[in-house]
Amino acid sequence: MRMRHRARLVDVLNRAETGPIIEESDFERRLVTPTINRLIKQYDIKFDHKTIVPSDDDLADRLFQAGLDFASEVGLFCQSTSRRIVWSRQELVDGLRYCPSEAILGIGNDSVTVHARRPEDTIRVTVVGGAYGVPVPEHLFVPVMYSYAREPVVDVLENATLETVYGHPIKADSPWEVLGGWREAELSFQVLNRANRLGMCIGCVETSPTALGEISASSWGGFRPSDWHHVATISEFKTNYDLLEKVVHTARIGGAMETYYNPIFGGYVGGAEGVALALTAAPILLNQVNMAHTFGTRPDHPFLNCDTTPEILWALSLAFQALSRNTNILISSLAGPAGGPGTKTMLYELAAYTIATTVSGQSMIEASMSAGGRIPRHISRLDARLCGEIAHSVSGMKREQANELVQHLLNIYQPDLKTNPIGRPFEEVYDVDNVEPTSEWQGIYDDVCSELVHMGVPLGCNIR
Amino acid sequence: MPDLTAYSQEFAQLLLNSDVQRAKEYSLELLDGGISPIDFFNDIFTVALTEIGDKFARLDIFLPELMDAAETAKTVSTEVVQPKLAEKNAGYNTIRGKIVLCSVKGDLHDIGKNMVKLMLQVNGFDVIDLGVDISPRDTIRKAKEEEADLIGLSSLMTTSMPYMKETVELRDEFGLKGKVKVIVGGAPITPEYSHQIGADAFGRDAIEGVRECLRLMESTK
Repeated sequence: MRMRHRARLVDVLNRAETGPIIEESDFERRLVTPTINRLIKQYDIKFDHKTIVPSDDDLADRLFQAGLDFASEVGLFCQSTSRRIVWSRQELVDGLRYCPSEAILGIGNDSVTVHARRPEDTIRVTVVGGAYGVPVPEHLFVPVMYSYAREPVVDVLENATLETVYGHPIKADSPWEVLGGWREAELSFQVLNRANRLGMCIGCVETSPTALGEISASSWGGFRPSDWHHVATISEFKTNYDLLEKVVHTARIGGAMETYYNPIFGGYVGGAEGVALALTAAPILLNQVNMAHTFGTRPDHPFLNCDTTPEILWALSLAFQALSRNTNILISSLAGPAGGPGTKTMLYELAAYTIATTVSGQSMIEASMSAGGRIPRHISRLDARLCGEIAHSVSGMKREQANELVQHLLNIYQPDLKTNPIGRPFEEVYDVDNVEPTSEWQGIYDDVCSELVHMGVPLGCNIR
Repeated sequence: MPDLTAYSQEFAQLLLNSDVQRAKEYSLELLDGGISPIDFFNDIFTVALTEIGDKFARLDIFLPELMDAAETAKTVSTEVVQPKLAEKNAGYNTIRGKIVLCSVKGDLHDIGKNMVKLMLQVNGFDVIDLGVDISPRDTIRKAKEEEADLIGLSSLMTTSMPYMKETVELRDEFGLKGKVKVIVGGAPITPEYSHQIGADAFGRDAIEGVRECLRLMESTK
């Protein structure tokens, strides 16, 4: 795991104190939106609803250049200082030359190596399983997370969000946040013990809206440097002291870091083309500022609460091709279907999402934020199994073939997205004591797998 | 009386073009041409804004276009419509309600809140946007100061939700229950949670949020 790029930590912090001052609203409306609109026209980036998984390399390369332009012209806004953290184009290119092209997550035999990939690459995709951001009560945390940890296709665990700590609400920026972070660590290690995967990497600290949870719960006795420490970005293209404090802390403990950026479709960045450009520019900037190992995203549709619409899938596919063709950035994406556990919709959405993103060069697939990630307990580890199995089976697939599959799946599930298909909670699709799916849910899963095989998804092949 | 639908459609297009000057001129032409200020406001201005809100709800337009249109409309309202109303219909209230809006403490997300704000504005609400990471005390203080009808609280994080409950508790303890209604929304918020903490309404998204605010205003009449 090469982390030569973290040497610029002090420079990053200094630029947050000395960069150009701008009002936050002006940053979004006078800088982000017009720059995106101009670059989309300049580089001729156009959404084509017939080609959700594009195979136009020139288009992908133009998008990458547009992303570099955006990153150097706009920078990242620091809310705490009301300044832009800016870099020259050459600095950003130099930063990309030294970004990690591989990362080791976890310890010993339970560790996994994440590799940079290219479009249509045969290199193995790392599979993250869990229920990122989905609220769960304390008594269900261990069964839910154990269901993922026991799944062989899952390489890295992604924690759900605790609803309470010892029965009390977890309040941001309060002692409860600190206690919540520690409780999450304690329960996570129970999960790893039960699954006999003690060195498995855990995405953490979910219970950390400010820096308090992360810094306390990843100190001695808590989450380990080998775990996957998350640092968010505030949409669009914003950071603050709390997030930079997490960066400093993770850098100083030598921790593995995931930084992520979740653009909003129809928001300040606009539609499909704008989301694609934002998804390309953000990792370039975040590589420079947060100096992470992996770069994640989960774009959001403001009314459907998912990232599986045709426009968003196109944006993800094209942006991942732009980044993976031109950099070694380790790209990770979090599937966020509108469908929830117990529904075929969720499985179709996850299939389309995984196919589109895997053939486009992502290094990691995270599954999932089922039911949009907003409904408590709407979780099922069969989502991670499906994404993992598909990611492995479609590695090396041509983008044209992937496009046909994705189009076919979209035709099946797209009408359902507006019906709020949230499905059922964990305890209704699982036997909580045995942590096994109910026969009904398992049957639905098996049916969809059969359908996928008939469509041409080579499930069960490429076992590595 | 002429069919005002065509006028409202034309006016909506001017707003979407963000052509402030032309939108003002067009409004004055209609008002000077015999359409009363009240008819203009109810059947052209409000209808045009509702249509723009609907376009955003369908994502036929995006947030920046919505913001530009709302700003243009605000200028037309302030510089043309309000003076004409004051001149001919003194006391006529074009504001459907006053709302204090914020993302609660611990939550720095503002895009969802901004969408709600704009949708409320285009639907005739006076919105006082406190921003993000706002403590319950500050919210209640501002609502009292502004004599607001509603408080809108947004949270995208479970760890900020307790501050919604605190805001409702403070409102009740300060004797504002019944006077100031609270509406909550955000990704992890459910109708059950809204009911549990004593909020008056819940909005799943910006569209439902506006609908619920209108309902709350109706219920206070």
